[in-house]
Amino acid sequence: MYEPDDEDLAAEEQAASLKVACPERTWEDLEEDETGRLRITHGDKQYREKRRKIAMAAANSHVCKGMIRFLYVVVDLSQAVNEADMRPSRLAVVSGILYKFFREYFNQNPLSQLGLVVTRNGIAERLTELSGSPESHITALKENLEAAGDMSIQNSLEQVQSSLAQLPTYGTREVLFVVSALSSCDPGNVHTAIAAAKSANIRVSVVSVAAELHICRRMTEETGGMFGVSQSQHHLEDLLMAHAPPPPLNEQATKASLVEMGFPQKRPLDKGAFFSGRGGEYVCPRCASRVEVNPTHPKFVENIKINNPVTFLQELPAQCSVCSLTLVSSPHLARSYHHLFPVAPFEVHRPVIMQELNDAAKLDATNCFACNLKFDRSGARGNDDAPSVCPRCKKIYCFQCDVFIHEKLHNCPGCEIDKAKGYKNSA
Amino acid sequence: MIFNLEGLTVYFPYEYLYPEQYRYMLELKRALDAKGHGCLEMPTGTGKTITCLSLITSYQLQNPECGKLIYCTRTVPEMEKVLAELRNLQAYREKHVGKASQIMALGLSSRKNMCIHPKVADEGSRESVDANCRRLTASWVRDKHMAALANEEEAPENAPELCEFFEDYEKEGPNAILPPGVYTLADLRDFGRKKGWCPYFLARHMISFANVVVYNYQYLLDPKVANMVSRELERECVVVFDEAHNIDNVCIEALSVNLRQQTLDGASRNIAQLTQRIEHVKAHDEQRLREEYTRLVNGLAQQGVLDRARSDQLIANPVISEDILREAVPGNIRRAEHFIAFLRRFVEYLKQRMRGGSVEQETPIAFLAHLQQTAAIDGKTLKFCYDRITSLLKTLEVVDTEDFSAISLICDFATLVGTYEKGFALILEPYDERYPNIPDPVFQLTCLDASYAIAPVFDKFNSVFITSGTLSPINLYPQLLGFKPVCSAALDMTLTRECLCPMVITRGADQQMVSTKFDMRDDPGVIQNYGRVLIDLCSCVPDGIVAFFVSYSYMEQIISKWHETGVLQQVMRRKLVFLETQDVVETSLALDNYRRACNCGRGAVFLSVARGKIAEGIDFDRHYGRAVIMYGVPYQYTLSRILRARLEYLRETFQIKEADFLSFDAVRQAAQCVGRVIRSKADYGLMVFCDKRYNSHDKRGKLPKWITSHLHEQQLNLSTDMAVAIARQFMRDMAQPYDRAGQMGKSLLDQNSVNAMAAAAGFGPPTIGPPPPKPMGGPMGGPMGGPMGGAGPMTIG
Repeated sequence: MYEPDDEDLAAEEQAASLKVACPERTWEDLEEDETGRLRITHGDKQYREKRRKIAMAAANSHVCKGMIRFLYVVVDLSQAVNEADMRPSRLAVVSGILYKFFREYFNQNPLSQLGLVVTRNGIAERLTELSGSPESHITALKENLEAAGDMSIQNSLEQVQSSLAQLPTYGTREVLFVVSALSSCDPGNVHTAIAAAKSANIRVSVVSVAAELHICRRMTEETGGMFGVSQSQHHLEDLLMAHAPPPPLNEQATKASLVEMGFPQKRPLDKGAFFSGRGGEYVCPRCASRVEVNPTHPKFVENIKINNPVTFLQELPAQCSVCSLTLVSSPHLARSYHHLFPVAPFEVHRPVIMQELNDAAKLDATNCFACNLKFDRSGARGNDDAPSVCPRCKKIYCFQCDVFIHEKLHNCPGCEIDKAKGYKNSA
Repeated sequence: MIFNLEGLTVYFPYEYLYPEQYRYMLELKRALDAKGHGCLEMPTGTGKTITCLSLITSYQLQNPECGKLIYCTRTVPEMEKVLAELRNLQAYREKHVGKASQIMALGLSSRKNMCIHPKVADEGSRESVDANCRRLTASWVRDKHMAALANEEEAPENAPELCEFFEDYEKEGPNAILPPGVYTLADLRDFGRKKGWCPYFLARHMISFANVVVYNYQYLLDPKVANMVSRELERECVVVFDEAHNIDNVCIEALSVNLRQQTLDGASRNIAQLTQRIEHVKAHDEQRLREEYTRLVNGLAQQGVLDRARSDQLIANPVISEDILREAVPGNIRRAEHFIAFLRRFVEYLKQRMRGGSVEQETPIAFLAHLQQTAAIDGKTLKFCYDRITSLLKTLEVVDTEDFSAISLICDFATLVGTYEKGFALILEPYDERYPNIPDPVFQLTCLDASYAIAPVFDKFNSVFITSGTLSPINLYPQLLGFKPVCSAALDMTLTRECLCPMVITRGADQQMVSTKFDMRDDPGVIQNYGRVLIDLCSCVPDGIVAFFVSYSYMEQIISKWHETGVLQQVMRRKLVFLETQDVVETSLALDNYRRACNCGRGAVFLSVARGKIAEGIDFDRHYGRAVIMYGVPYQYTLSRILRARLEYLRETFQIKEADFLSFDAVRQAAQCVGRVIRSKADYGLMVFCDKRYNSHDKRGKLPKWITSHLHEQQLNLSTDMAVAIARQFMRDMAQPYDRAGQMGKSLLDQNSVNAMAAAAGFGPPTIGPPPPKPMGGPMGGPMGGPMGGAGPMTIG
């Protein structure tokens, strides 16, 4: 017997189950234009978002920023990370993004340090101490990805605070929670832990995978951190990566002070050394001692302590184990610089203006100055390809290059060439 | 913000105005201009109270002939909220207009909330505070005190104690007035302490001077109280009933009396006491009884037996005053002992009726006929019972009215049954339905027609407004309450983001329909699916969730089933579970702990009952309620005889179909429950209706417009898993930063856009300050200006 209702229901269900299975229907965002090229319709939104970010960075350039950060990342490994609302699971997505984040963090803040805490079964474990190498955090997290029980905000805060409280005051103290759970299981009053964190000048930020948890929002508001809830996998990545650039400096919390730093020399290995490493070993410029990695944590293999000289430091920045001088390399300092002097945001060029420009700078106006690709003159294909112009050197760039210059390069090629020319001329 | 609303300068204490507030004001103003009643629905969280207050007080300022604003609320906390808003408004007006615009506003509550006498105020219940107050302030007590003081031989300690605050207040006489301002109950108490005046009597006295009076519904609706407090209010007053979605029930309760076995026993004891006292008075001071008799002979009305002196008012007539025939008390109850005998007979008759083991239902006429036959008591005499007992208690100088509550209840009953022939029903139930073996007879006199109690209010005052967040369907209320509104509107909420997400879940993940229909509610599949809904929502909704069940018994049943099948354990893993019980203390403790669990991030579920205390008065705003689940359709207990009688009456009198009324009543309760979750525009919440019946149009259509306009096609007829997917997405979207700038012009109006709207309607900028006094008999004509007439003098002046 024909029953229209049932059929309707079945169709509805199918649509619904599709929706459940694939919350992000990425293929629906693709569109074919008249020339047969595929493009993502969400591009427009992304474009505006990127523009906004660049403008924000420029607008905040006068704000003091903490060059030296001490950041603890607290990863929630409660049962909630096993939910499958992100493919394949929240855990896989979050950990993948975190690996990226660690690298990006050290890329942007070469002088800073990071530590890793996981919370599960109602307790918080410190996986890694504050240190400067992304790879050690990544391996530590990779080895500890079993999820169980509940998360505990209070325990995590206390765990982190015990370490952060002893740090020198010239660095910013930060905690970044990556939360999947919807509840926190605490042994005592979590509000006192928050108050303690606040009085210790710790800035707590939260990125939530699922929803807005009141205690998280309140914690971030009280300590001056950021709070974000991801809408999708991409959004989650954006939110996390937003924590990579240094935050504005809290004047009261951090004191400007002279930080002693040394530029260690890399010495080729002694001929007598019986192992072969890459390159050589660093030597402290003050006390001339060799610099070891984590000298307090010797390796154990089957309960036998191995005093392996392999643990000599291969990466900077670090601390000298003898005189505890901070050791950096000069490119690190230079790289930290761009947060203070970002490239000025480029202005959008409308086709009309391009016409005018054509006469003045014909060659520049038809091709991107950086990648030398031809512009689409009509400008009819949305904002994606709208070229932008550097306000200083008046060179024109395509959008992709614009983003690349602002997010990665931190130098405008046009301006640099002008500068170089200026030197030449003056010379 | 100050703006011109069709010729009326409105002072609004906030910088921004919602468009719906503008429309609300417009409706109110037009109704005020037309001097008519109104019925307005606007969702909670849109600033209904301040809109209403700011418009009406602005109207008062510009039209001095407009009377007081009488703002009726349901509870004391609501009253305090209104007064706080008023204070805000007052400060704003003072800043922009100056002293000329001062408002005199005060709240009035029972003695319990206002008394500052150190001993009396400590009394627990309302009745005992009242009684103790009377003991100290009744006129004969004061006379005795004076006499004792005058008599030098007696030690002053023997003189009856008086309330010093009342004495000081009395000494001031009519000079005891408050300076203009806004007074909450606490302010009144402080002022009273400072001056040494009784705040309760001061507030009652000040009503006649105030521009705004805020008090409980009862003060207008319950004829006993209304006669005392609200009698002297003038016709021009504007009355507002806030949160009035249950006003019909309040009206009915005000005129209904329940008699139990204990009441009758108490009444017999009272009669014995009265007899003793009469004997006593007879022996000592017969003069007093004789005086009373002569007064009664001369007739109640002319002599004013009930001279309603402020303090001597013991208990007032339960019948609306216009309904009392203006005639003398019948001869057979004029003498005190005759009246007592009469009462004894009546109580005996009632006792005998109560002994009957079967359920009886009859009309007042039938009751009176039977009464006449068996006990030889006629209806006309019954009608005077109340006045007679009041007079008697006064003559006997009884102050402990609390002790005589049983006999006064009997007299209430007698007077009501003697006065009204229609619209009432008498129902005798010999036992509780749940425990048929335990005799617990109740004799109920229930009012079936809500319009009786409220009719005098509509008749007396020019403009009466009924407003609430849930008044849908809005055309039913005028019908039930028997009035003709000049404005009736259901306003929607303008939002920049969809911050409320109603959903109708009709089936579980296994496609089995869910419902609390009588034949389905015990089905284990349904119970299991209901449990599944809770578990799944707990795992995607943060912080607090509130779930409403249709009744206590159903809640108990379903919870025990959930416990057996492990549902509760699964819920407990995610959130703590709290329950509403019939015990108020226990419930408030649970609620307190629920809030704490939400605050500290543990998350909690509150299981509650529709029509309960929680559903009516507690807000679950922000993280205290991110989702609300309505399990089933909260119908009234349809086998209740009172409800049956009322339905029958409604069908015969108003042609309202039984099913229509029942589903209207159920849906308004459901809407009330889910409305708890949204308290402001920045807030957000899920509203989950779990019953297949909500999918049908006749239920859905009765929900308020502000809910249905967000109930899209894809949110109907969901199964649990689909609902969870929607809920997840909703929670994520709503957690995104909320920017105020985006609302501008769309859901938020600033001064410029409001001015532009006024200009578009043909009105200039607002004139600040009270209107200039109009020349007597000048060419302007009457003071009443419609939109056209009002604009002229306004802009010139």
